Amino acid sequence: MVIKLNGRIDSNNAAAIEKEIMGQLGGQEGVPVVLDASALEYISSAGLRVLLRVRKACSGLRITGVCPEVYDILEMTGFTEMMDVEKAWRVVSVEGCEEIGRGANGTIYRIDQDNVVKVYNNADALDDIQHEREVAKLALILGIPTAISYDVVRVGESYGSVFELLNARSFSRILSAEPEKMDWCVKEYVDLLKKIHGTLVPAGKLPDMKETVLSWARFLQGELPGDAGDKLLALVEAVPHDDHMIHGDYHTKNVELQDDEVLLIDMDTLAVGHPVFELASMFNAYVGFSELDHEIVRKFQGFDFETSSAFWHKSLAAYLETECPTKIREVEDKARIIGYARLIRRAVRRNAMETETGRKEVAFWKAQLLGLLEKTDTLTFNLNELELEAAAENLEEVQAFVEERLERARCPAKDRMKICLAVEEIFINIAHYAYAPDKGKAVVRVEVSGDPVSVTITFVDHGIPYDPLAKTDPDILLDAEAREIGGLGIFLTKKIMDDVSYTYRDGQNILTLKKNL
Amino acid sequence: MLDIQKTLEDGAALFRLEGRLDTVTAPKLEKELRETMSGISRLTLDMEKLEYISSAGLRVLLTAQKTMNRQGEMKVAHVPEMILEIFEVTGFTEILTIE
Repeated sequence: MVIKLNGRIDSNNAAAIEKEIMGQLGGQEGVPVVLDASALEYISSAGLRVLLRVRKACSGLRITGVCPEVYDILEMTGFTEMMDVEKAWRVVSVEGCEEIGRGANGTIYRIDQDNVVKVYNNADALDDIQHEREVAKLALILGIPTAISYDVVRVGESYGSVFELLNARSFSRILSAEPEKMDWCVKEYVDLLKKIHGTLVPAGKLPDMKETVLSWARFLQGELPGDAGDKLLALVEAVPHDDHMIHGDYHTKNVELQDDEVLLIDMDTLAVGHPVFELASMFNAYVGFSELDHEIVRKFQGFDFETSSAFWHKSLAAYLETECPTKIREVEDKARIIGYARLIRRAVRRNAMETETGRKEVAFWKAQLLGLLEKTDTLTFNLNELELEAAAENLEEVQAFVEERLERARCPAKDRMKICLAVEEIFINIAHYAYAPDKGKAVVRVEVSGDPVSVTITFVDHGIPYDPLAKTDPDILLDAEAREIGGLGIFLTKKIMDDVSYTYRDGQNILTLKKNL
Repeated sequence: MLDIQKTLEDGAALFRLEGRLDTVTAPKLEKELRETMSGISRLTLDMEKLEYISSAGLRVLLTAQKTMNRQGEMKVAHVPEMILEIFEVTGFTEILTIE
């Protein structure tokens, strides 16, 4: 039964209104009642008492269309918790409003100086809005700076949620208007990203991104030739579970500068998972989506493709804390695998194969993906590990990579030079002997640990089993004529490191250097 | 990177070394020395601006020392502390004439 309430209910008319409602109920106690409050302007405590008695007289009371003023009264007095109260949606127009952000599920507009509204694509978005509010609250509690919506509104046929966002500018706008701020943007952007990825989320609070990516991989099994689909699925399956937060749509439109604070917005894609999943969506946002049509990123972000790829590469370098091109490419390639998988699935599901452009795009992405799958054994990565061809011309890259790690560990210059020297001797040894006359890879890992602090450098290669430490040390007391030209490198390494050890395990030469700082 | 500044005068050669003497750069010094050493009796390597040396660099020094032992003398000058330490642990302080 629906009963309409009008105007004001206070001590002047409460008794009369109660009588009228009870009359309409007419002794049919036990029926659910809906009070339509869309024309109700005010309710006093006398009116609230009427509501309590009506609630007693029926089996379930719902009040709908409650205006903000009345809602405040009901909320303050605890009535919203006692009965089912539905707010009347404020109506907001976004006509002529500036678009400040756009994500997978909606578009964000600035409606006035202090406020923005996120309009959801899905017409039936109340659950989505509820979800986003909950995850935004969770993120805020876990220490991630974000904005939480304070009101739900109607925007045409859609729903929107309203946030307070004063004097804020997105990083996309900053980059477009002031390209000289690129490095500053990269730093702030990566600092926030690291903060997100360093945030441990209590189990079950957020969806697992791995499940989503697995569904992409399963979809692609029917799209990729041969066993490439199986390999993709196996790679994703092998990514370890990770309870750290990822944003899921981390690009410069979703990062805002409000006064001096960097804020994250558009939280509906928040999830947990391995960082490679985040990097994949970042690759797509800056490069993947617009690789074949550079105009796409300009329309979306406001800056051109060159700026976009530069921002991506600088951010990736900062995130990985390295300038080493091999390391950056390694991780980018892993991100690209997941990125292309997503692009192909998305395009195929949107009937891209029916158009010339679509077919061309999908063919390009597939070719890229197949090439990457062939050379990739894992989607995970280690910031302190570098894999590259064991060749003398890669020495500088190896040394620079090791130096970066030592500098971060505040290793004194003198020790740094010695460690770099030992790294040269061992790496060159591997380059010359491990695979000759063929070529092969070597892994260099840098670990700083313990108290007192020590640095451990590990070299792994798959070459012929060879223990360089087994060689007799040169006699350093001989005069120049009697001394041999070779054999100095390993000897020098032993002398300047605190520990040098070798083992052969699972087809791998493993050589470890240790230096106490 | 290794920068070599070479001065030749009356059968004496002075090499000013700047940068790194490692696997990558040692062949460059070796080549320069080979080209210069025939016909000189005194060789000085000034290491004031040398920042780094590895076994590849030591090998070049040893070869040069052996050659100069036969035709005159060789000296290394202004050796920075860190490089001196490498000379010490490898016994090069006994082989080289360090000024």
